Amino acid sequence: MTGAIRFAVDIGGTFTDLQLVDEATGRVAAYKLPTTPEDPSIGLIDGIRGACARHGLALDRVEVVMHGTTIATNAVLQRRLPEGALITTAGFEDVLEIGRHARRDVYGLKAEPRTLLIPRHRRFGVVERIGADGRMIAPLDEAAATDLARRIATSGWPVVAVALLHAYANPIHERRLREIIEREAPGVEISLSSEISPEIREFERTSTTVLNALLMPVVRGYTRRLEARLAEAEFKPLLYLVQSNGGATTPARAGLEPARLLLSGPSGGALAAELIAAELDLPNLIAVDMGGTSYDISVILAGRRNVVAAGEVDGCPVRLPMVEMRTIGAGGGSIAWLDGAKRLHVGPESAGAVPGPVCYGRGGTRPTVTDANVVLGRLDPAHFLGGAMRLDKAAAASALDAHVAQPLGLDIDRAAEGVLTVTVSKLATAIKLSLFEKGLDPADFALISFGGAGGLHAVEVAGELGIKTVVFPLNPGTLSAYGILMSDLVHDLSRSRLMRLTPDCLPALRALADGLAVEGRAILDGEAVPADRQDLAFTADLRYQGQAFELLIPVPAQPLDAALIDLLAERFHVLHEQRFSYADRTVPVELVTLRLTATGRLGKPPVAAMAADGIAAEPTERPMRLGGAWQQVPVHQRAAIPTGDVLRGPLMVEEEYTSILITGGWTVESTGAGHLVAHREIAR
Amino acid sequence: MSEAQDPIRLEIVSHALVAAAEEMNVTIWRTSRSTTVRELLDYSTAVFDRDGRNLAQAARMPVHLNSMEPCLEEIKTRHIPLDDWAEGDVIITNDPYSGGQHLPDFLCFKPVFHQGRRIAITGVLTHHVDVGGGAAGGYNARATEVFHEGVRVPPVRLVTAGKLNQELLATILCNVREPEIFRSDLLSEVSALEVGARSIRALADKYGGPTFEAVGQAILDGSEAGMRAAIAAIPDGSYAAEDWIDGDGLSPETLRIVVRVTVAGDRLAVDLSGTAPQAAGPVNATFALTKSAVYYAIIAATGAPVAANSGCYRPIDVAAPVGSLVNAAFPAPVSMRMLTGHKIVTATLRALAGVLPERIPAAYYGVTFNHAIGIIHADGRRQVYFDSELGGWGGHPEQDGADGLSAGFHNQQNTPIEMIESLYPLTFTRYGLLPDSGGAGRHRGGLGIVREWRFDGHRGLLNASFDAFRSRPYGLDGGAQGSAGRLSVTRDRVMTELPPKVIGHELAAGDVVRMETPGGGGHGDPSRRDPTALAADLAGGYVTAGHANISTSNG
Repeated sequence: MTGAIRFAVDIGGTFTDLQLVDEATGRVAAYKLPTTPEDPSIGLIDGIRGACARHGLALDRVEVVMHGTTIATNAVLQRRLPEGALITTAGFEDVLEIGRHARRDVYGLKAEPRTLLIPRHRRFGVVERIGADGRMIAPLDEAAATDLARRIATSGWPVVAVALLHAYANPIHERRLREIIEREAPGVEISLSSEISPEIREFERTSTTVLNALLMPVVRGYTRRLEARLAEAEFKPLLYLVQSNGGATTPARAGLEPARLLLSGPSGGALAAELIAAELDLPNLIAVDMGGTSYDISVILAGRRNVVAAGEVDGCPVRLPMVEMRTIGAGGGSIAWLDGAKRLHVGPESAGAVPGPVCYGRGGTRPTVTDANVVLGRLDPAHFLGGAMRLDKAAAASALDAHVAQPLGLDIDRAAEGVLTVTVSKLATAIKLSLFEKGLDPADFALISFGGAGGLHAVEVAGELGIKTVVFPLNPGTLSAYGILMSDLVHDLSRSRLMRLTPDCLPALRALADGLAVEGRAILDGEAVPADRQDLAFTADLRYQGQAFELLIPVPAQPLDAALIDLLAERFHVLHEQRFSYADRTVPVELVTLRLTATGRLGKPPVAAMAADGIAAEPTERPMRLGGAWQQVPVHQRAAIPTGDVLRGPLMVEEEYTSILITGGWTVESTGAGHLVAHREIAR
Repeated sequence: MSEAQDPIRLEIVSHALVAAAEEMNVTIWRTSRSTTVRELLDYSTAVFDRDGRNLAQAARMPVHLNSMEPCLEEIKTRHIPLDDWAEGDVIITNDPYSGGQHLPDFLCFKPVFHQGRRIAITGVLTHHVDVGGGAAGGYNARATEVFHEGVRVPPVRLVTAGKLNQELLATILCNVREPEIFRSDLLSEVSALEVGARSIRALADKYGGPTFEAVGQAILDGSEAGMRAAIAAIPDGSYAAEDWIDGDGLSPETLRIVVRVTVAGDRLAVDLSGTAPQAAGPVNATFALTKSAVYYAIIAATGAPVAANSGCYRPIDVAAPVGSLVNAAFPAPVSMRMLTGHKIVTATLRALAGVLPERIPAAYYGVTFNHAIGIIHADGRRQVYFDSELGGWGGHPEQDGADGLSAGFHNQQNTPIEMIESLYPLTFTRYGLLPDSGGAGRHRGGLGIVREWRFDGHRGLLNASFDAFRSRPYGLDGGAQGSAGRLSVTRDRVMTELPPKVIGHELAAGDVVRMETPGGGGHGDPSRRDPTALAADLAGGYVTAGHANISTSNG
């Protein structure tokens, strides 16, 4: 592929970020333009044209486009979904609506609204029954199924989700229903639970299948428009879409399994963190992305992103592998407020972009994190967004005074510091819980911070957690796109079958594994991935008999025999001990789900080391309040920091879209590749 | 300003204490093995100050959380004085007459030491799947004394200075039906206590022990002030209401729960005098449970935006006559105490409905539908299947009641049917919302649930601790009652209705058990219901046409 240009495009709500690599030179470049919400594919194509024009590259050299999109997530959040029908086992039509019963606000007398994507009058039961062991208990009522399929045809519902009990153990009835619907209602799109999420737990599987079905026309419509536009364009790239597991897939497959695109937005950041972990030899990294409203945390452990078996979108479970992400409502726009007991809280409510923080002067009246940063001199009112926007410091101060300082009997400076201290504590706690759940210690990790608001707080958050190294990557604004640039084709397949992990389970386990392997290779073959670029890796979801939660244990590539069974069990005990402080080798280990990750390795373009093209700008100074006192603090321009120089905090580093605060007790230096790395100085 | 009063530090320590409770919560969920914990989420975790006052709770089961402080009070005053709690000790009890609620709930507490001084206590409560006694799963409907309900453990040390008391553990395990699961769940409680303790020690390291303790007191003062302000906003006066339970399982006599709430300035007294005497059957509540129900109802009713902790309890006085249904005297049986507890909650809310009309909904289903089967396999192996169900919320002044969702002072998950069928010889035939079960109203009650399964095992003994078959959820402001609960067994096409409390009902292969839980009461005059909402009810089959006519014409 020498000479090709590869693009990564990350389409967000506000901006479309592009990152390109020229494989001939290894040169990497970024480009940004406003998102075109009416049809995001317009911005994608305009962006590719614009980036090539700016960097003097021939368009016909563009061979690969890796595309990260929030189209699926946004369609769910904004309910831009078609009217779908759901078919269940008769008697279980309400499983989707009943959910799991538990609520979050235990003292509330008014129930929180619940998301229900298919209403009761479009849910239908058919007589059939499969048992937990996959045995057919009652045959499918074909006549009733035919009547139902005809009703679907006449009603004009474009999609049907099918989720029958225990279909993960035996999909025969789901498949037969599809045949009947295809026959009676041609053109209707169908999603089977046994295909999109063949895992035990009916509510979670049904929810995933419903999301998948409703998204089929949404994603297919989008990829068709995009492909049509590309067909008219003067370049003919291979197009891939980024999934929530961090891997890419083809548009054809995304049209069948669109739920795999849900929550894929932040996965690019985790991928980039994985690359930087390797580049800087920091295998344990916590990646944090702090924007205006939220703080996304992902964990890179031993050089790999952490993939979990499920997530949630708008209260609906999505039982599919995804890059683990903890999101809390804390960003630059998060509002500071007092509760009935006059206790100070920050977020989760955010002033967003409109009206935005008080200092934006767009009508915001309640103080935010950004306002506190302005009042304390950490943000320069004259040079926000590279000077594109002037900030109103006086308005920020008076809002903090009225809403926080006066009610608490503090002066404005102390109130602003308080808002930031509470924010930092909240961020640190969220990180701690993310690691704690896995039995990990923050002190064994470095932090990598990006997003517009992250740089001002990262070092203080690290201090709270005992973290000694903080990385501020090059191009923090398009980091996610950089991660996407380097992803592979990844397909996750799974089969649930509850079995005790003993040599007796070997025949059943081999059958599961063989079935998955055949399916995985078929998918990759279908995408023309040569055999020497196909990787198959199995993972077993194991637990002690009766536990609610499984640990995902990678299965080593060796013959499936009694020795491997013992090895898996032992690895499970060891990981269980690490995470939960005990292991019990007397209790049987159960296998719940066997997973296969089928990877088609895409060529990795060599990326040239970026020389920091130092501009000779002298640092300036301005007053800031740090550690409870006002002081003159040096302000450096990021591009002017020479590689190898060690600068000692306190200091501020500014670049176009973000600022980085290095507090006292920390040093910072620029690596050859352009990343800034801060270190905690050893206490003397 | 003293360090402890620094509002910023207060917020940070408070946040960290809730996080410690959450860390314990995660530990329990991930390491326990029973279905009660792993799917039903029947457990809770909390942090207390050095004297046993509740500082922070993980958002789980208010019934547990607000009863743990009364339990600690009992332990320290009547059993093991706090000064005798040594570093590395773990105190356990499940004794209703030492501050507990009923035998399946094992409370564990651990003192947290910092530089040789006790600075806090961590606490965990887990509902165990079986505690021996006359019925699998712990709900012996025929019990007339606590001795019939299972093994009773007074407050004693399970761990002494870090060393597990194996002999005590062996004794308990010898008395329960699922010893392996029991052991795992109990050890999970013990490890969670240390997880919380570790975080608290780190906090004390950071701020210093004395500051940590002072901040803890300031947190309680803050919640107290918030609670007082919320109470002061309620008009002074005395407000009474009643609710009922079907009976104690031995006699069909309805048992009355009477609540009188007296508001005077920023204090509030709740008196349960007039409530039925303690019952012969196991529906009695201990005083710890009653306080927990009242605290929950008042915190929820006032909607005070404060952290739930001991400070909230301070302006609330609770009185209940000794020897009554709501303050049972030893050795009254108590396993089904939640039946009464839920109705303490609904009666307290009802008492306040007149003065807080914009906040108080009609009654929810009002009972945790706990049931269990003692399964005896053909080869003699035994298994206990324990499960629980709930129903609809009452209509709210601003919206319909939620259908089939945890309400009131418990909060639990259902168990996936596919999990149940993978573990036990049951085949479900229906699990759904029950049409027409919500009370009619301008805002209708949420629907109850119908749950039906066939028993496929060799032999089963069905136990149930249900209620609300006659004492249905009340409506408010002209809204109608929610539906009644039901339980039936069908064998060879013959259906037999069962009473709400069942013990050891014999099940054979092929028997179909069906349970229906109540919908919530309606709120407001049904004739004022928005026609679009009614049309949506009919279209979705939440309400059937015949029922809609009846309910609108009857009002």
